[in-house]
Parts: sequence; C-alpha cells; structure tokens
Amino acid sequence: MTADVSLKSIHQMFGSFQALDDINLEFGAGEFVVLLGPSGCGKSTLLFILGGFLTPTSGEVLIGGANMLQVAPKDRPTTTMFQDYALFPHMSLRDNVAFGLRMRGQNKGQRNIRADEMLDLVGLLDKAHHKPHELSGGQRQRVALARALAVDPEVLLLDEPLGALDLKLRRQMQEELKAIQRKVGTTFVHVTHDQEEAMAIADRIVVMNHGKVEDAGPPEDVYLRPKTLFSANFMGDLNTIPAGLANKGSEADRIICARPENIGHKGEINLGNAVLESSSFFGTYHRCHFRISGKGGQEYVAHLPVDDLPKLGEEVQLFASNAVALEHSS
Amino acid sequence: MSIEQQEKRRALGFVAPALLWTCAFFLVPFAVMVLLSLAHLEGREIIQSYDLGNYLKIFTEPSLFKGIVVSLEITLIVTIISVLLAWPLAWIIATQVPEKYQRLAIMLAVLPFWTSYVVRSYSWALVLGQQGVLMQMLMGIGFLDEPIQIMATRGATVIGFVHFFVMLLTLTIYSNLIQLSPNYARAAADLGASGWNTFRLVILPLTLPGIMTGAFLTFVLCIGDYITPQILGGNNELTMPQLIMLQLGRRGDFPMASALSVILMLLVTLAYAATARWLKMERV
Amino acid sequence: MRMLGWAYMAAIFIFIFLPVVVLVLFSFQESRLPVPPFDGPTLKWYTQVIADRNLMEALRNSLFVALISAAIALLLGFFAAQGLSRVKLPGSVLMRGVLIAPMTVSYLIIALGLLTVFNNMGFRPSLWTTGIGHVVINLPLCFAILFAAMGDHQKNAERAARDLGASEIQIMFLVTAPMLKPALLAAYFLAVTFSWDEFIIAFLLTRFDVTLPVEIWSMLRSGLSPATNAIGSLVFLVSIAILIILEFTVFRKPKS
Repeated sequence: MTADVSLKSIHQMFGSFQALDDINLEFGAGEFVVLLGPSGCGKSTLLFILGGFLTPTSGEVLIGGANMLQVAPKDRPTTTMFQDYALFPHMSLRDNVAFGLRMRGQNKGQRNIRADEMLDLVGLLDKAHHKPHELSGGQRQRVALARALAVDPEVLLLDEPLGALDLKLRRQMQEELKAIQRKVGTTFVHVTHDQEEAMAIADRIVVMNHGKVEDAGPPEDVYLRPKTLFSANFMGDLNTIPAGLANKGSEADRIICARPENIGHKGEINLGNAVLESSSFFGTYHRCHFRISGKGGQEYVAHLPVDDLPKLGEEVQLFASNAVALEHSS
Repeated sequence: MSIEQQEKRRALGFVAPALLWTCAFFLVPFAVMVLLSLAHLEGREIIQSYDLGNYLKIFTEPSLFKGIVVSLEITLIVTIISVLLAWPLAWIIATQVPEKYQRLAIMLAVLPFWTSYVVRSYSWALVLGQQGVLMQMLMGIGFLDEPIQIMATRGATVIGFVHFFVMLLTLTIYSNLIQLSPNYARAAADLGASGWNTFRLVILPLTLPGIMTGAFLTFVLCIGDYITPQILGGNNELTMPQLIMLQLGRRGDFPMASALSVILMLLVTLAYAATARWLKMERV
Repeated sequence: MRMLGWAYMAAIFIFIFLPVVVLVLFSFQESRLPVPPFDGPTLKWYTQVIADRNLMEALRNSLFVALISAAIALLLGFFAAQGLSRVKLPGSVLMRGVLIAPMTVSYLIIALGLLTVFNNMGFRPSLWTTGIGHVVINLPLCFAILFAAMGDHQKNAERAARDLGASEIQIMFLVTAPMLKPALLAAYFLAVTFSWDEFIIAFLLTRFDVTLPVEIWSMLRSGLSPATNAIGSLVFLVSIAILIILEFTVFRKPKS
C-alpha cells in the first residue's frame, strides 16, 4: 500500500524554542523522501509529527488526503522504524515481526506466515527463533524494517535507521533499503544527517535547518543547483568565487559558488593564476589546494583527474564551470 | 616472568586482602555454624554428635516448624503487596512527573529510609497502637466506634515491612523503567497495541528484571529481619529470626539457633534459584 | 487517568510519610505519652536526650564504628575491584561470587556465625567485633559499586599513565582514585549509613559499649516515650542534613 503525504504550514514550539517554522511539503505516493539536516534542525520532530507521537502547535497533516491530526499513532497508516530499533528484547524475531498483526487480531497461524514472509524479504528467515540480542547491528536494523512493513503501512517513517552502523555496512544497507522500497512500493520518509546517504537513496531530498526547509528536490537538483548557501554547503564542499570575476546575477547580495569538481583547467570563469600548495590522492581524483598568486590570494579546492596533476608549487591558470549564484541563507 | 604473569600476580595481591577477610569472617564462621547445627545441648554443654537431631526436631516440633511457615507466609505476602504498590508509583514517577522533578520525587519517596530502622518500626507502633493516630482518626471520622487491635498482630508486621519495601522496590523498578527507551512504548502503540496490551506485552516484561531484583532483595531482608516482627508483631506468632534469638537468649542453645539459621539460608537460596534468571548479579 | 495517577501517588506518599510525621510531631509532646491529642510543643525531650550520657556515648560509639569499618570496607573493596577488573584471573568468577556472597545472607546469620567463632576463640564482644561484622556486610557493597564503576575507559587511562611512566602507586592516587571519586564517595557514604543503622550484629556482638540502635532498642523496653521520638527525630534530621549537603556538593551533576 502507498499514499501521498501533505504537510501544511506546520509550526512546532517547545516552550519558547521554535522547532519547526512553517513547513509546507508534498510527497507523492511511493516516493523515497529523505529529510536531511544537521542535528537539531527539526527533521526528527517532523517525523514524529507524521507518526503521530507529537501534535504540532499548528498546521495540518494529510495522508492519502485524510486529516491525521486527531488520529492516534496506532490508527494511522504509518509505521515508524526507530533510531534504536526498539525491538522487543523478550520476543523472538518472528514474534517481533508478527506483533503488529497480533494487535490487529490475526490468528497465530496467519500472522506467522506473514512474519516469515517479511523475514524472508530481509534475508533473516533462518533466524526466526532467535532473540534480538543474538543479532548484529545490521541484522537488527533489518528486523525493525520487517516489523514495520509487516502491517502493510502506506507510509514508512525511518528515524536515522542506519546511524548506528559502520560505514561499509551503511552503504550496503542503503542499497538494500532502496531495493526493498522499490519492491513494496510504500512511501518512505527517511531522516538522516548524512548527505551521501541522502543522495544514494532518495527520490527527493528535503534539506532542513533551524526548523525551516532550505531546499527540496531530486538529488541532482539539490546538489548541482542548490537554492540556498546552507543547502549548497551541506551537500558538499564549495568554493566561493569573488563577485567581480563572474557576470552571473548582478545583485550584490548573491554569492557565486562552484563545487571542487568544477574547478580546473577549463571553464567559463577565469580565476587567474594559482599555485598548487598541496594535494592528496582519493582513488578516483586528486584533491588539490590552490592559492591565487599575489598577496592575500584566495584559496580554491579542486578535484583534478588522477592523470592531470601539476607539480607542487607549479603555477597554472584556474577556471570554474557550472557556477551557481546563491542568496545568503535566510 | 612474562608481563602478563606479573600483572596477574599483582592483581591477585590486590584481591587477596578482601578475600581473606571474607573467608575469615564470613565463610569460616558459616562453616562453623553448619557444623554446630549438627551438635546438641546437654545441660549447658555443647556436645558435637554429627547428627541431624536439631533438624528433625525443627520439622517435628510444631512450635519450631510453625516459625518456618509464619516466616514464609509473611515474606510472600509482604513481597507481593510491596510489588503491587510500588510498580504503579515507580511508573507514575517515571512517566507522569516532569523530568526535572523526578529526582526530587524519588528522593522524597525514599526519604524515610534515613530514619533509623529500629525507630521506623517504633514509629509504626505509635501509629497503629490502640491510642495511636490511626485509631483516633478512624474513630474521629466515625469509621470505627472503638479501637481495633492491630498492634501485636501479623497485620502490624506486614504494614511495617510493606512500608520499608515499597520504598526499596520503587527505587529498583524506577531505575529499571527510566533505562527503557521511550521508543518501546511508541513502537508498540505504532503497531496498534492498546494501552493495556502495551503494558502487558511490552512494558511489564521489560521491567521484570527490576521487579525480580527488588522482590529478591525484599525476600532476603524480610525473612531474615528480627526487629520488625519483634516490635510490631509481638510474641503471638514467632518468625524464624525471633525463634533464633529465643534459642540464643533463653537457653544459649547455639546448635538449635545454627540449625534454624541454616534452614533460613536454604530458603534464601531457593528464592535465589527461583529468581536468578532475572537477576543481574552475575554481572556485578 | 492522569488525576487517578496523582491521587495514587499522593496516597502512597501519605503512607510513606505517616510514621515519620507522627514520630517528629510527638517528639514535641508535653505529656509522657507520644499519642494524640498533641499537647506540645516543648523541647524538653530533646534537652533530656542530649543530656543523657548513655545515649550520647552510644552515639559516639556508633559514629566511631561506622567511620572506621566503612573506611576498611572501602579500602578492601577498592583493591579487590582494582585487581579483578584489570586482568582475567583463573577463578575470577568464583572470587567475585565469594566477595558478593555476604550480600545475600541475612545479617542475623552473619552475626550468629561471628558470635560462635568469637566465643570459641575467647574474643570478648566489643565495638571491635561489631566493626569486623560491619566490614563483612559493607565489603560486598563497596566492591560491587566500585567494580561496576571501573569500565574500559578507566583501564585505558591507567594504561596511558603507565605508558607515560607513572608507578603503580602514582597511577592509583593520580588517575584511578580521582576518576572514581563519585563512586568512592557513594560507596563510603552508603557503608557509613549501613553500619550506623545496623542493629542485629551490634546487638549480638557488643556488651558494655553499645551502639546507638542497640541503646534505642533498650529504651523501647520501657515502652512508648517522647524521648524515643526525640532521639529518633534527631538522627533523622542529621541524616537528612548530611544527605542534602552531599546532594548539593559532591553528587551534583555538572550542568551541561
């Protein structure tokens, strides 16, 4: 099952602290949405409002067109996968996964068939009798996913589900998560602070900061054509280009930026002569620090192809391409 | 000698004094007591006979055997009532009281711990006596016409014990409850569980370690306590500790007192065996 | 539902505080019986117990036994925890079991065992024998608290100190003890409290010099008296005062 989600002018106050400030978002049915932002930006608060664990100070939540504000978590077509997984430690994996169906009054035989199906989906059917503490972190994460999906939610909410895993496992789980989402077709709303994770799995990224939406769109748009300076910085490294060099956006309050991979020997903006001060090897590219010749010259970070590296101290002419003009963050 | 061996020897040196102390003043006395329980008294003389005469006597003489029954009954009643009273209190403090006042609430809930144990039993004697506050109050509101006897009954002993152990259990259950992630209850509710099912299937099983730790402590302390039954329960029915003190005081019958102590010890061991799977003592 | 919760909490709190309130209130009773109606207030019972030489002697004895036995228990417990937490010794599970064992045994049994042994060896009951008994009951407590407090980061800090050239003694005083300060203080405080309030061991193992709980016990033989309320209230108030001081000084969590 799947449904669209619509958030209308959501505000959330905690005492005098404004956790969410006028959030308006629309998610399509079956979309994989990632809420991205630094800790404290309000992304988890927004997820809890969607799940029904928190009633917003004002605003509306619609799922599949139905107003959810007066609906308790258990009656919402959402399930949440918690950051600490909250697997019930005294129950076997099968009982954990079958819990939601048990609460819906399904008999043991039926719900165990469904639980085994779900465990099979996440590749843990052979461990159905085990207790959660016998599993590794990645396996627990899969059980939590199976448990949340077993009740066939229209929207699945994931609160930093990969945060506790080490980097390699995280990258692997991202792919699995995406594959499972494609298979079940449920709308996924996934919270993370890892922008690489966001780009790897999202159909749409929502960048948040200080309780506001900074940017929203497909990963390519958010990365290559960010709407704000904050969003641009959060998605990756950024070089600031002095306003005089480019003739983009004549307004004085705009900043011209370019990603390190868009700095190099060619491009439409001439940055001037620069000296290579240091470089490090990253497998597929060299990360180079250049400084414009002359007093107080500006620094640039460039990612150059591995076969195209100047010598240390060598002076080259630097160009920038695909630069974007950004407003200062509001 | 390798560095590991040196380390081990040094560590052993650190542990040795504590081990020696425990052996000399706990294990050895306990062994001596077990041996003594196999002796008997002739006149005022202790004769070692290595037989089970004392134990036989305990199980055949009604006045002694009744002590075991009375002690077990009181202890079980106290443990059950205390758990039933303490769990809701711990839960209310952990979930309903605002976080910044929780520490205060818990400190208040255990404040009477800081009265002396003897004085606490004495205070209940003041409250429960014929002329005490409780009777005066009940008669004042017209609930009773004349005072009823609570002091020197099992009821008084149970009230005194429950008072102490409600505080203790509130502490153990509360510290268990606040360690639980709030996400357990959220997850259960999210998956469709009603409040009652969330409690029955998730929260209660998760607090079993806290309940069992507290219940075991209650059992050990309650069944071995002399003060509360002596001050509040009087001499109508004697618990095992009262019987032990009676053997020591009246006749200096150390062998019989030892035999009763060994049985007390066995009961505690049984209680441990019954609750061990929930206790976290092996982690200590 | 919420109201019901508050009402329940209030009811239990009344039950918990009832005897304490009655104790303190009737310590100010004018007449000789601490039962209603209340006819005070007067401080005469307080003056009487403070002037009572036996009682004050017992109070000093209790303090003496508590401070010294707790210190010994803390020291032994600290060394044992230190030894058992740093290397895996053969039989360390058994050793931990032996050290913890006295916690699960009734004080009465510990007292009886010691009494038997001391009688056989011809030791007279005294404050010293009581102190030995109190170390037996407090050693497992101190050991358990300190052992639980010694984690991996503790071990790593000690390793770093050793690596930087500190001697074992220096490590203990400059690294281990300061890192464990809260646990050490908590353990000592609890041990002092337990010893201070312990009755049955002191009752069986003292004769002429008695501790406060034993002295109060003998006061009870002469029946109910506001004097008993007064000494009980005094002990309670002093304990609370110490507790509050500790709460606001050493156990205060640093504000984040």
